[in-house]
Formats: sequence, structure tokens, C-alpha cells
Amino acid sequence: MDYSKQIQEIASKLFTENKIDYFAGYRKNTFDDNQVPVLVTDPAEVPKLVFTDQSVFNLTNYLKPEHTKRKRVGIVVKGCDSRALNLLLTEKQVTRENLYIIGVCCEGILNEKGEKAQNCLECVMPDPVVYDEIIGTPTGKKEYQVNVDIKELAEKALSERADYFEEIFANCIRCNACRHSCPLCYCAKCCIDQETSSLYHGANTSSGAMHALMTWSLHLAGRCVDCRNCEKACPSHLPLHLLHKQNEKVIFENFQQHLAGMEKDDRGAFYKYSLSDPDDFIM
Amino acid sequence: MESQVKEAQEKVVSAENPEITAPADWQPVIMGILCNWCSYAGSDLTGTSRIQYPPNIRIIRVPCSSRVDPWFIIKSLQTTADGVLISGCHPGDCHYISGNYYARRRFLVTKKLLNFVGYHENRVQFSWVSAAEGPKFAKVVAKVTEDIKKLGPLHRNKKENF
Amino acid sequence: MARVGVFVCFCGANIADFVDVPAVVAETRKITAVKYAIEYKYMCSDPGQQMIREAIVNQRLTSVVVAACSPRMHEKTFRKALTDAGMNPYLLEVANIREHSSWVHQKDKKAATEKAADLIRMAVAKSIANEQLHEISVPVTKRALVIGGGIAGIQAALDIADAHIPVTLVERSPSIGGRMAQLDETFPTLDCSQCILTPKMVDVASHPYIELIPYSEVIQLDGYVGNYKAKIKKKASYVNFSTCTGCGACTQKCPVKVPNEFNMNIDKRKAIYTPFPQAVPNKPVIDAEHCTMLLKGKCGICAKVCEKGSIDYKMVDEVIEREIGAVVVATGYDLWDPKPYEEYGVGRYKDVITSLEFERMVSASGPTNGLPLRPSDGKVPKNVVFIKCIGSRDEAKGIEYCSKICCMYTAKHAILLHHKVHDSHAYIFYMDIRAAGKGYEEFVKRAQTETAATYLRGRVSKIYKQGDKLIVRGEDAQIGQVVEVVADLVVLATAIVPYKENPALARLLGISYDKYGYMSEAHPKLRPVETAKAGIFLAGCTQAPKDIPDTVSQASACAAKVCGLFAGDTLKKDPMISKVNTEFCSGCQNCVGVCPYQAIVTEEIPLGHGSKEIRTVAKINEGVCQGCGSCVAVCRSMAISLAGFTDQQIINEIIAI
Repeated sequence: MDYSKQIQEIASKLFTENKIDYFAGYRKNTFDDNQVPVLVTDPAEVPKLVFTDQSVFNLTNYLKPEHTKRKRVGIVVKGCDSRALNLLLTEKQVTRENLYIIGVCCEGILNEKGEKAQNCLECVMPDPVVYDEIIGTPTGKKEYQVNVDIKELAEKALSERADYFEEIFANCIRCNACRHSCPLCYCAKCCIDQETSSLYHGANTSSGAMHALMTWSLHLAGRCVDCRNCEKACPSHLPLHLLHKQNEKVIFENFQQHLAGMEKDDRGAFYKYSLSDPDDFIM
Repeated sequence: MESQVKEAQEKVVSAENPEITAPADWQPVIMGILCNWCSYAGSDLTGTSRIQYPPNIRIIRVPCSSRVDPWFIIKSLQTTADGVLISGCHPGDCHYISGNYYARRRFLVTKKLLNFVGYHENRVQFSWVSAAEGPKFAKVVAKVTEDIKKLGPLHRNKKENF
Repeated sequence: MARVGVFVCFCGANIADFVDVPAVVAETRKITAVKYAIEYKYMCSDPGQQMIREAIVNQRLTSVVVAACSPRMHEKTFRKALTDAGMNPYLLEVANIREHSSWVHQKDKKAATEKAADLIRMAVAKSIANEQLHEISVPVTKRALVIGGGIAGIQAALDIADAHIPVTLVERSPSIGGRMAQLDETFPTLDCSQCILTPKMVDVASHPYIELIPYSEVIQLDGYVGNYKAKIKKKASYVNFSTCTGCGACTQKCPVKVPNEFNMNIDKRKAIYTPFPQAVPNKPVIDAEHCTMLLKGKCGICAKVCEKGSIDYKMVDEVIEREIGAVVVATGYDLWDPKPYEEYGVGRYKDVITSLEFERMVSASGPTNGLPLRPSDGKVPKNVVFIKCIGSRDEAKGIEYCSKICCMYTAKHAILLHHKVHDSHAYIFYMDIRAAGKGYEEFVKRAQTETAATYLRGRVSKIYKQGDKLIVRGEDAQIGQVVEVVADLVVLATAIVPYKENPALARLLGISYDKYGYMSEAHPKLRPVETAKAGIFLAGCTQAPKDIPDTVSQASACAAKVCGLFAGDTLKKDPMISKVNTEFCSGCQNCVGVCPYQAIVTEEIPLGHGSKEIRTVAKINEGVCQGCGSCVAVCRSMAISLAGFTDQQIINEIIAI
């Protein structure tokens, strides 16, 4: 999968026609095969833009900061990225008229070993759900699969799971990189940072991290698109996808097969209800 | 050997962490969060009718079950409570029309997530109790208390969470 | 620096017998923030409140905790004590150590005491985070909606209208009058029911302040007290009421015959009909389910004979809207179907009938011209057996309550039977005789002495046919013998139940109902006409079985409540509502859709201080918000706070114990 040329052509045209102020895309970093996000303002930088099966990062995260929020941005999105974009549009964090969306029909991202990444193997929507221009051939919605890791964990004994997660939470250093890298985490002041005394703690305790991460995953429940920006950003390499995929599974199986950001004007699962939602777990 | 076995039988072991034990007569603390219009009124009726139930529950009043944020549950389990009971109006009868519909979605996901990260599924329980269901409230509290008694105490060291 | 005052009530012996109050007070004094803690026998009494008022001033208290009965009992009372002492009334918290401790843990004083101490700790911790709140004024629409045009709805409408308040009275059937219109004579006076009812019905129709909307149903109610919006569906009558003179030619000529529900299906009516001769409005309607023209496009006789051309087959249902300040629910009762009493031959033997069928037969304008007749052969019955408590007081039939009116109307039926058929004999099988009202006992005595009525205390086990008679086998418990009565007619005093549509109506209105479908009152003793939803009131059998005097009283009580609500120019609103902190709001508008009252809109504010650029944030209309907190829990940024139940207050409660 290599659409670098097409991306460069489109970006060039957009700059020439003065349709954008920024172009959000990928460029190769100069010392290994990894790609990094780039915000291009100068048309001379356009040849640096690439798009391959290493273009992993969810670029919609760059629509959050103040300096891009109100500017005109051209942006490259894969299937999952575009779902996040749908949510950002519904939640009024970005204006549709300000965007030129290049949607890529993604064939999957490869990890360091050259294998398809786990979230790409389980991908439910590789095609962009919102775009101005589409690249590649759409292959359609895939059947939902439960993440293999949570399937495995669900089978473990309770105390084993408790120990496993205690370990994970103990290794969180409360750096907040996960929040900063997640496109859907844009709150002006995160609830975890607010001053309601005795509620959240910034300290590096396992339980403090548990509270913070659980809350964070519940705020993303029904909104997370499994782009794995958070996991990539986490310095402790915590398997954050476990929490998000668990919530996604419960929501998919119980709430009308809801998946984040699939439809235009979609809101997360917690902002709507169905009269037939299950409550047999309630006495 | 016999005394060891006897000792083991006289203790309650935490369902999540077998290293944590308590004496057999250990009393759990249950945090109860009740909606004002149905469940709290129902619990008042339990009192007026003098129906008895175990004394382990401590009740917080909220206007509607939809006010309940998942952090109420997480924080309760991390600080003072060994179990949480949340109770609201029956679906369709919410005093604020639709609050309990939104609430029950959050309840399900929160309950499953807590179980996933290592809390026994009976640590947080839910009920729909109407203002006329005094006897039901007593039954619900008795059941939850009994369940939590069997699950044992939660954390070894909770002080750091306050 | 918090200075909390705690006032622990003995509540006579209610709390003191099961909770060690002095120990609780001693524990409470150990809390750092508590600067004053005291106990008293009755905190809600005048001296008790005086203690609170004095302590607020003398101890310079910053918040008050009263540990006593449920806040749903006396929160208002104690708030007033705070106001009288110059303290904001919302700086009060109530610890419920009666309904939630002393009354429910009577076997374990130690545990009850510990729990009481904990509940006080929680209330103290919460009160420290209480903020000063001020009531809000909202406008009030001075129009009442009365749902149901039976005697309850009629009385309520008249009383409200007499106070010069406009009333919209909605009735489901083509005419007002309800059950009372079906009665012959009423106990205990034997007043002719129609004679005392019809003047009121006419008053309703002609009252300048009453808008009567018959043959209609309320299909939607939005809003909140003083500011409701009702949608009413006017069913198509296919008759133009403004031109129709009520001459009745259409009804005479209509060829279709349909069971007459007003006469309990004893006789038939036409497809175009008025329900009864004294109907108000006295205009016919076409029953769309049976009219040949509407179903098949054939006939059209009524249109042909109508001199005024009032028939309009093209009419459709119409939905109208009304702005309303208060609602009175008066939907009345239905009769339970005694089908489960197979042993009585219900449905099998034609001569086993319900009390309402008997009532229609003895009515002068009824299907048998005022004479009770055997449905099987039309003969006049001589021996009539009345059986009381059919369905009522019967756990096996799912109706545990007493229907209240059957003892009285059965005595009435015995008297009426005697008047109509002089040589008749009434046998009444009963469990009890409940005649508690004014003149009621005397009335029953009258039935027992003036007529040949025989009261037999005992249940009936079986009814079977013998020739053209019915044998009623039961027990006469007073002589301890099985008896058999040879009956010409058997009348079952069937339980009264709420209409099966009651729960659906309750959900539409946003009020509660009980397991039978009766609408729930706010408090069974002290607030019998209010519901838990402000501005919605209950009158008559929709709330519980009752007779006409109690129904009329309840209806007038509702009217008084409505008048009280509308007395001022504005309504004072509870300030425990939600508010957006615009600093934290990111404008995602996820809260907007969650609000059940559409109280959340958006507003544009400057991006930063002094900035020219704008951003959109949420804004809550304080007049509309009802304070449920749905928006608070969905706001990820914790940008919305609910006064009285803030996150800080709740976390304080959780960690207090």
C-alpha cells in the first residue's frame, strides 16, 4: 500500500488553490522506517509527505490544538481515523467547512515484525466514512470480532485477572500521554485534573491509576475507534486497548451493535438509549 | 494441621485476592445510592413498615439514578465500601422520564469493566425499587449484604485512596 | 472554617428505643468540623426548632445537620428554621436515622447506633460542601387540564372554573357523566343519579370558564408545573357539532346495531349514536368501527336524513395543543371481569350477571325500562341472590383490596329490587358489611328491615343449573350450615379496577402508579390528591376505590390545590438545578440530547478574556431544568454541576464513614 504520490498531488493542489492553511499528513523520519505526523504549511515541504503501511498514527489528534482548530486543514484519514473524525464533527470540535478530508481505503498497518497490527486484523471498517476525496478501493464493513486478548483474559480466574491489572496500573506513571494522543480526549480541563478534593489523585499509586484509567476508558466508551494512538504514546507500554476493547465489546453486544463513529451525526453509546437495552442484570 | 484447617474455616477470604482475609464475623460496608423519587421513597416505606434488614448499608440520596457517575462506584470500592448497591425507578417510571434509561447503559458497561479488571461481579449490584416496594428493598439489601459477606473484604490498604 | 451544628432527635421513642442517642451525640462531637452537637426529644416541635435557631446564631454555625426522620418528611420544616435564623435554608442536611436505622435494625442496637453515627458523619461531610442557593421564580400558565369527565372531573372543573380559572376538560367518550350516569339511584339517599348529575353536566357545558372537549384523549404532556404543554387528539365524530341540532333522526334511521356498552351490552345501539338521552353534548357520533359507510362506502342513510347536513364522512382526527399550568387526573374505574369465577357459571349461565348490569336494568331509562329481568327468558325474577366480594379481597384473583362501594350498593340493590318487584326476595351472601359513611349503617339497616332481604354470612362455593333456575350453594356461617338458594337471577358485586390504560396514561404524564394500575398519591395520609410530580393531581377512583361523596371531596380538594398553585403571578422553583461552568465546557453538546426537558441550549461566548473570537458552550435554562442530573453524569469534563448534589458533596459523603 503506497499512496504517497497521490497524497503529494492532492496536497500540492490544495496549497496552490489556497484551500488550506495546514496539511496534516505523514513523513518518514530520517533515521529509521517509522513515520511521524507532520503539519505542513509550506508547499515546498509537500514532497516529504508519504502514505504507506507504516502510516499508523491517527492524525485527527492534530485537529485539537488551538492553532489548527480554526484554520483550514487538509487531512489524511484511514478508516478508523475517519470514524474519530465523524465523532469530532458531531461533537462540534471541528467545522466540516474547514476541512479537506482525504480518505484512504486502508489495507492495514504493519508492525515492526512486518505483521499486520492486531487492531488492523480486527478492523471493522477500513474504508473512510467521511471524506472529500477517496483513495484506493473500498472493501466494505467487516464482521465484528472480539479482541483476542480480552477473550483470553475473560477466561482467567478472577484473582489472576486482579493481579494482572494491579500490575498494569502499578506501572502507570500518570504522564497523561494517552490523553494527549487520543483525538477524542479534548476536554479543556480533564476531570481527573480538577480540584474536587479527595476525588482523583495525581500520585503514582496503583489505585490512583486504576481510577484514572477506568474513568478515562468509560469516557471513551462508545467513542473509541481503536486507532491505538494511546498505546503507541504510553511510555510504560501499557496494553490500554484491553480496557477500550472490553467496553467496545459490551456496547456492541448489548446496545444495538453500536460502533463508534460509523454514522454521520453519531454520538457515543452513552448519549442515547433504546427501550430494549438489557437490564436483566438489575434486580 | 487440624488447627490450620479450623483457622482457615473461621476466616473470610477476599474473592479477588486470596491473601486478604478477615475474621468470620467480619461485617462489610455497603454503599447504597438511591434515587429520591422511587428507591429512597421505597426505602423509607421499608422503615415505616418496620421491615428489618441487615445494618451494613449506608445510603446516599441522589435525585435520579442518571446522576450516578461511574466514579461513585469506583471511589466507593476504593475507599470505604466492600460493595455498592445502586437503585432507581423501574424503566418507564422514571420521575425525570428518561434518566434511568441512560443510567442502565452506564451501569452495564461499568459493571462489566470492573469485573474485567478484577472485581467480583457481585461487588456492584443494581435494582429497580419503586416507592411502593418497601418489602423488595429489604430483600435486595439482604441479598447484597449476604453476597458481599461471602466475597470478603476488598483491599489491603485503602488509606492511600482517601 | 466549617462550624457544623448537629441536632439529634429522639423522635419520642421511635429513634431512642433502638439507637443510643447520647452515644451518637458523643461520637458526633469527635468530628473536627462539628462545633455543636445536641439531642432533643422532638426536633420538629417548636422548642426543637427554637434550639436550632438559637444555636445557629450563638454558635455561629456555617451549616446544620438534623439527624431525625427521613428528609422527605421534615426537610422543609427544618429549612424554614434556618431561614428564620437568618441562615440560607440550603445549608441544611438531614441524616435519616429513623426510617434508615432505628426502624429497620430493631434487633441490633449496637449496629443501629453505629449506622446512625455513620449517617451523621456523611451528612456533616456533605453539608460542609453545601452552597447557598436561592429560589427561582418561573411564570405560570393559569389554565387547568382535567382528564376525565365523570363526576370527579366535572366537580374539579366546576370548582376551578368558579374561581375564574380557565379549564380544559377532556373526556374520552362522546359524553361526560361517567359511571354516575349509569346509576339508577345512589346510596344512602336514593337520590336519582341522573337528576343530581345532569345539572352539573349542563353547568360544565355552559360555564364561561370551561372548554369541554368530548370524544378526545390526551396524547402528550411536556413541560413542568406551571408550564405544561398538552397535545389532545380530538377523535373524528363525523358529525359537525356546530350545525347538529340533536334531533336524533340519524340515530333512528341507522340500520346498524352494535352492543350498547353504556347498557353493559344488554341491548344494542346504532352505529351513529348518543350514549344516553341526557348526554352532554347531546350530539351523536359515528362509531367508525361499525359504520357501513366508513368501512365499506355503502349506506349513507344518516347523511340523507339529516336536515342540517351535519354528517361529514371525510372528517379526520385532529390534534390540538393547549398550554397548561396544572393537570387533574380523573379517569375513574372499570369493572373487573369475573370470568375466573368459573364455579359461578360466569359466561355460561345467562342469569349470572354483574352489579352494573343489574344497575342498568333497574334504571328507568335502561334497556329493560327499569325492571330487572332474567336475561335467559325475559321473565321477572322473584328470588335474586347477590354475592359480594367477587374478586375483591381475594389474593388468588390478584385483587387484595376491598372495592369499598359494593356493600353499600348491594344494600341499595336489595331495596331497589323490593321497590320494583314487590314480591321478590333478596339473598345476600357476604363476608362483611362495610358501611362506615354518614347514614351508611342506617341505610343497610333499612335494607335489612324494610325489604325481605336475607343476609347470609358465608361464601358461595358453586352455582349450578336446575331446570330454568340456578341453585346457589353457599355457607351460612352463623348457623354453621351449608345452604342452597333457588335463584332466578344472580348478581355478582364485582371488584372495581382502574382502566387498563391507566399505566400508559401515567407514563405519558410522568407520574407513578401501583401494582393494580391506580395512580399513586404523593403521601397516602397527608397528600392524598397530589402526585410526586408537581402540578399533577388526582381525583376519584383513578387513585383508589371510593364512593361519590369522597370522590366529590377529592375533586374539590384538587381544585383548591390548583387555585393555590395559581394564586401568585409566578411560581417559586426549587433551586437544586444544574449549571454549566463555561470554563470547562468544550461545547460537545452531548448533554443537549440527554435532557428530558430540553432545558439545554447553546450560547456563544468569547474564546478567552477579551477575545473577539467566539466559542460555543452549553447553557441550561434555569426555568426549565428539573435537577435530575442526567447532564451532570454524561459531561466528561465535569463542567456541569447539580446544586445540592455536587461531585464534591457526594465524594464527601462516600469517604466520611
